[in-house]
Amino acid sequence: MNQHVLTRNNVKITGSGKQAMLFAPGFGCDQTVWSLISKSFEKDYQVILFDYVGLGLSDVKAYDSDKYSKLSGYVQDVLDVCSALNLTDVIFVGHSVGATIGMLASLRKPAHFSQLIMIGPSACYLNDPPGYIGGFEKEDLLGLMDLMAKNYIGWANVFSATALNNPDLPDIEKDIEDRFCSTDPVIARNFAEACFFADNRQDLSKVTIPALILQCANDVIAPESAGQYMNKSLPTSTIKYMNATGHFPHMSHPEETAQLIREYLLETSISLEKEDVGGLT
Amino acid sequence: MDEQLNQAPCGFLTLTKDGIILSVNETLLRVLDYTSDELIDQHINSILTKSTRIFFHLYFMQLVTVQHRVEEMYLSLNAKNEEETPVLINAVLNEQQGQQVIACIIVPIRKRNEFENQLLIAKKVAEDAFKEKEKAHLQLEVALQDLEANQKELLEINKQNQKYNLDTYRELQLAKKIQERSLTKPICNDSIHIESYYKASSGLSGDIYGFYQVNDHQYGIILLDVMGHGISSALITMSLQSLFHRLISTGVSASMVMKELDNHLHTLFPSNESVWHYCTAIYLFIDTAKHTIEYVNAGHPPLIYQELDGEQLELYASSPPLGTFENIHYKTKTFSYKKGSRIFLYTDGVSESLEPEPVNSLLSKHSTLSLTHFKEKILQSLKDRKEANYKKDDQCFILVDLK
Repeated sequence: MNQHVLTRNNVKITGSGKQAMLFAPGFGCDQTVWSLISKSFEKDYQVILFDYVGLGLSDVKAYDSDKYSKLSGYVQDVLDVCSALNLTDVIFVGHSVGATIGMLASLRKPAHFSQLIMIGPSACYLNDPPGYIGGFEKEDLLGLMDLMAKNYIGWANVFSATALNNPDLPDIEKDIEDRFCSTDPVIARNFAEACFFADNRQDLSKVTIPALILQCANDVIAPESAGQYMNKSLPTSTIKYMNATGHFPHMSHPEETAQLIREYLLETSISLEKEDVGGLT
Repeated sequence: MDEQLNQAPCGFLTLTKDGIILSVNETLLRVLDYTSDELIDQHINSILTKSTRIFFHLYFMQLVTVQHRVEEMYLSLNAKNEEETPVLINAVLNEQQGQQVIACIIVPIRKRNEFENQLLIAKKVAEDAFKEKEKAHLQLEVALQDLEANQKELLEINKQNQKYNLDTYRELQLAKKIQERSLTKPICNDSIHIESYYKASSGLSGDIYGFYQVNDHQYGIILLDVMGHGISSALITMSLQSLFHRLISTGVSASMVMKELDNHLHTLFPSNESVWHYCTAIYLFIDTAKHTIEYVNAGHPPLIYQELDGEQLELYASSPPLGTFENIHYKTKTFSYKKGSRIFLYTDGVSESLEPEPVNSLLSKHSTLSLTHFKEKILQSLKDRKEANYKKDDQCFILVDLK
């Protein structure tokens, strides 16, 4: 089972530290998105990268259209990886919907996790007036689905391969770059529907571990209002406003991103140590 | 900007790595209805539709960052007048004076887009049709399963029916035997010879007869035909049989025998009952010492009496059938017979089966034959005419030779 999960989710472990850092990509991406920052943590942490089933170099044959049409399917992937590696007190770093997936995983099995680092998170992408601005109307997100549909050249072949889930099809070892953003329209669409139409605002208050929210400037996908709502709703959280713009600071501004994570981990470890000391005296 | 590029037959745009517009050519400005000043230093978001902004950040920015190029990406641009323009974009990430710059070529594809929309609609229709087909197929499978279950049930019922039929057949055969056992055996002595024939149309018969030697010179002969045939008629014959057996054996008078049988039927079927049955009957009381025959014919076909010289007498019904009108007096008629005469009693099942030959001509034609041979002759005639006169009725006759 363990080896099965490690292969299925293309788990890669590097680093010489004791504490584990698990990096979860956001929508439609595989572990290569972390390449610019993950190395900087290898000295102090055990760095664990993985792909959701259906993305990157995961085992596409394990793809289940029903399972991965809901966030719970991706949450299960995270929990499977944690169980397979017998992880505890993991620092979970999640980008975008990856942050939400980590948050939901921590609710299911709190013992696996110690902290949540949420990069550009949003608990709900849809506006819910008057109180909540997620940034999008339903039509905007349906338009996104259309754009996705129209950008899959060769959808016919890929569609049939996935739909039939034919085990006789030869494994096509695609380049990492090819897999960088999934070109399988079924997988991408299921993931998009699972993440963009989700509303996990009710879950935020149940989170038991501390969280860091990294909020980019001019993020069209996770606007400031979404980050602030998250910060307000999470029981123990800190929000940092980044100079980085856009939705992918770990790629566009890796130094700033790594720096802010490192600072936060340092601060919390100091405060934890203080608490420990206080406990002893 | 190079003038040729500025006026090139495609849009051209450069962006910073963060998506800020550095330059834009005239062609693209015309498409978007903006001036250069309005767009330079603005984020590219300002010329993207809202859906495109998400897509652009999810895909374009990442691809161009990692792969340093984007090819044939479909986007939807938002002109100043809010008009959407579908475009294809190609981009590369270059170093220019130590700064990373994204250079983009943009080609509007309104017609192609319309075509693609139609294709997507057709694809959706095809997919829906496929789903419908699958659904219909599933329903058919369910229906097939139901059908198979029904068929299984039917087969089971059929099996039960067959068993029931077999059981019923066995029961009927047993009943037939019982009915036949109640028939009296031929009588043959110095003064009289009585033979009979009895055949049910369907297992059980509605005909019944009996002949009894009351004492050394008196005989009672009765023949009854209960309306209809089959089980119900047969049940009635059995009930009548037990009655006439007792009456005739004890030498009760002819009129009394008929009266009692009539009463019995009225008791069984009080008037207007849906199960009401009647029966025709003929009763002969022969005294071989006095050479007389007393008889009552209640609605039965005529009895034929033939003397040795061929002279025939037909004894027609003088009363209605038994079980019809209440309080009827069955009047007895008496005549003297001559030695060597022959009597033929039959039910309509016999006379109708012999058609077109009348029974009396059959009798006269074979008057010289012995009783046993004559009986065989009749049976042969019945057999010969079976095909032609196929009538499903019980057959019964009695032959008497008076010596």
